[in-house]
Amino acid sequence: MSPLLSVVSSLALWVGSALLVASVAIVGPRRLYALWDDLRDRLWEIRKPLAGLVVVLIASAIGRSSLQTVSELFGLQLTWAIYALEGDFVAWIQATFASPRLTMYFSSVYVYGYVFLLSFPFLAYLALPRTATVKRLVVAYALNYAIGLVVYTIVFAHGPRNVMPDMVTSLLFTHNPEFMALTGEVNEPANVFPSLHTSLSVTVGTFAVLTRREYPLWTPIAAWLATSVVIATMYLGIHWLTDVFGGIALALGAVYLSYRIVDEAEEEGERETDGDGESEDGE
Amino acid sequence: MARQVGRRELLAGTGIAALSAGCLGRTRNIAGRERSSQLTLEINAPPADRDPNAIRIARHLAQNLDAVGVDARINTLGFTDLRRKVLINHNFDVYVGQFREAEPFDPDAMYAFAHSQFVAESGWQNPFGFTDINGTDELLGSQRRVEGDERREAVTDLQRALGELQPFTVVAFPDPLTAVREDRFENWTNRQPLSVGGLLGLERVGAADVGEGGTADGNETDDGANETADRNETDGDLIDDNPLTDGDDGENDAATLRLVTTDERITQNWNPIAAEYRRYGTFTSLLYDRLALVDGGEVIPWLAADWKRVGGSGIEVSLRDADWHDGEPVTADDVAFTYEFLRDTAMGGTESPVPTPTFRGRVSAVDEATAVDEATVRLTLDGVNEPVGVRALQVPILPKHVWDERTGVATIAGLEFDAETTEAVVTNNENPIGSGPLRFVEAAPEESVAFERNPDHFLVREVGGDGSTGGTDDGGSTGDETDRLAGIPERFRGKPAFDRLEIQVMGSDVAAVQAVGDGFADATVSNLGPDSVPRIGREADARLVTGRSGGFYHVGYNTRRAPLSNPRFRGVLASLIDKQTLVDSAFDGYADPAASPLAATPEWVPSDLRWEDRERDPFYPFVGESGSLDAETARDRLREAGYRFDEEGRLLAPGT
Repeated sequence: MSPLLSVVSSLALWVGSALLVASVAIVGPRRLYALWDDLRDRLWEIRKPLAGLVVVLIASAIGRSSLQTVSELFGLQLTWAIYALEGDFVAWIQATFASPRLTMYFSSVYVYGYVFLLSFPFLAYLALPRTATVKRLVVAYALNYAIGLVVYTIVFAHGPRNVMPDMVTSLLFTHNPEFMALTGEVNEPANVFPSLHTSLSVTVGTFAVLTRREYPLWTPIAAWLATSVVIATMYLGIHWLTDVFGGIALALGAVYLSYRIVDEAEEEGERETDGDGESEDGE
Repeated sequence: MARQVGRRELLAGTGIAALSAGCLGRTRNIAGRERSSQLTLEINAPPADRDPNAIRIARHLAQNLDAVGVDARINTLGFTDLRRKVLINHNFDVYVGQFREAEPFDPDAMYAFAHSQFVAESGWQNPFGFTDINGTDELLGSQRRVEGDERREAVTDLQRALGELQPFTVVAFPDPLTAVREDRFENWTNRQPLSVGGLLGLERVGAADVGEGGTADGNETDDGANETADRNETDGDLIDDNPLTDGDDGENDAATLRLVTTDERITQNWNPIAAEYRRYGTFTSLLYDRLALVDGGEVIPWLAADWKRVGGSGIEVSLRDADWHDGEPVTADDVAFTYEFLRDTAMGGTESPVPTPTFRGRVSAVDEATAVDEATVRLTLDGVNEPVGVRALQVPILPKHVWDERTGVATIAGLEFDAETTEAVVTNNENPIGSGPLRFVEAAPEESVAFERNPDHFLVREVGGDGSTGGTDDGGSTGDETDRLAGIPERFRGKPAFDRLEIQVMGSDVAAVQAVGDGFADATVSNLGPDSVPRIGREADARLVTGRSGGFYHVGYNTRRAPLSNPRFRGVLASLIDKQTLVDSAFDGYADPAASPLAATPEWVPSDLRWEDRERDPFYPFVGESGSLDAETARDRLREAGYRFDEEGRLLAPGT
């Protein structure tokens, strides 16, 4: 359908340009040249975690609708519990801060900023001489998706815009209905806990802090973008505060596990990630 | 209510401790009493993306319930899960939903909805578990038997009984709002744009232009005939790739009616009797013809060419010449089978009958159906009056050779899972074989579904071999024509005006309106909320069409559960709902508040129950002023009804 196509192409255009600029400014031409020369070897080196991530993504794409059915039939219906826990917090955010400019900002961050935030570190860490960091990043991504998918299946809940439309406007889709075509492809409306937008952004943010020696310029940018995405999930009425906390916990857990799984000693790392790839299969 | 078990165990522990302390008797007297805790009510509603109005009603009720000390919990569920929970499993406290009639309906629609004879059945029959044997049941029964003023009286009393007892609270009749664009199809009626009659009544814009390639309009008889003939060559094979399915070029596209909805169910299931999946059953009615079609109050002989009353309680129905989508002829046997089958989808194969979950009230009016000859069926009615008899003619006629094989007990992987349901009730009915003006082409679950015009349908079928398309020409085989289409109004002859009907699922009502505004769709099908309605005005090419709906929004109570079993308690709940304010806020004014479920047919509603010139509900007026609840008065009402509160103002759940 055409609206989807136009959103995707504009996304590719903007994120592509941002990646170009950022890689020159942050990674630097020297590392980029080195990466270009060495690309195939490095990709080969990280093939196992990469394969793991691909498996998880494919499993998620294929299995999502059947898992959704399982969730509908057997999942815990927790919308009321989340609401009982935090009440009108998201409504308060919107009532207090909403303005057309902020809506525009958070909408772009939620879609464009997020995609950039996730794709840039992959490039940047791949350009590092040692592949341990990029392996960890990929493993952390895979863990986020895999665990997220499991929790989605267990918890069946709708987001604030779906539960209290009288107080929380679905700002993203009201102002940019075309985004709905895109997110509709990727998301089930009943999958709100935990917020994967939050968990992946916080994952990237955490990595940015951990690798601040390598890319000092990236750390504040990543921190800013990650925080913006996290706020955007609530400002736009898509997620509850509870989902955000869940997402942060998932992110920290995934980063911790990725450090356990991918050891600094490369040889060891090879074997460990091997095992990880298989366990990902299982999920 | 499961919590009570836990508390009992806890108290048992306390009892043992007290026993050792010695004061056995007194402790038993205290510990043996179950303590009350706050009343919890779960309100089930679809999420805003699916239905922007229902969740707003649920929120309104939940807030007011909270204010009077009830722990109200909103549970959002997709349409199918919601229906399963409410209609099939009866495992709910309160739900917010719409009645299943798209258009204003005969009072007899209340028969299955509220009669206590259906409490044990699953489906659209009495989901409330409501039993009022001497009042409601009797009135429901007599209104189907008596005629004229007597019936009017029974219907009036019925509305009063339902109003007093509130098994469900009628909130409002929504205007069936539709955003349409008129550059491709016109004649969007202001009656009910997306009913069977509304869709069949559409006209192609510019169909007179030769070269547009339209078979759509009979004005272009020659052109149309050629096109139809072309397509007829591939008729024998249903699976055959219709050239229209793969073509994406302008010419083919022009004959496609594109609709958008937020209701994904039509992309997953085409079973005309499945209660979980049908909203109004508009599209399945286009797949499965009924004997009679009611369009805007007008009864049109449809698959039945005609019927006449024979004897005291019989109707003899003569069928039109029609074929199933697989080429088999539609016979009187199929019709007789359908009525028997809907009464018991197991056809006697199970311990107790498994009746259809929809159309139950209609088939209950038919005692027996027998085929007289190939094209004549005799229905023996259960002593019902004329209008109820006509309602009985409005069930989807099913092909015996397909549904005969679905009478077995439903199984999962060969295992009997639930002996109380049959394959027929649970099947998704992929590749539906009906006899209707549309036939199924393809579907991508949760995304889209496509139907195409059935070139063999009696509305369009060619007569003889002279190449004239059905319906609209005034020369040639007029004699045959009138005969064949007797009773069919001019506006339906040679219809539908589209070759293909595509329905696309959108993420929300806003996205649906946007799709119409941007020219990706011709009309929206699903409900529009206050965020999307103003949008229509801003889109240059989109227009708002509306009409009258029978699908009233209501709050349904599970009267099997205390305290919802108490009509006084339900009365107080009803008085927590400010219908007028809800109409303004949740429907943006596009609805009519109502007290009676029959408000769409004002001729049946006594003047003191009409809303028109009143501000408040005649039975249980809202406690408060324009949206803001007077919680203290509401509490007093509950106290008067015998309910108690704790020191923090929480309503205590009475022991069960």
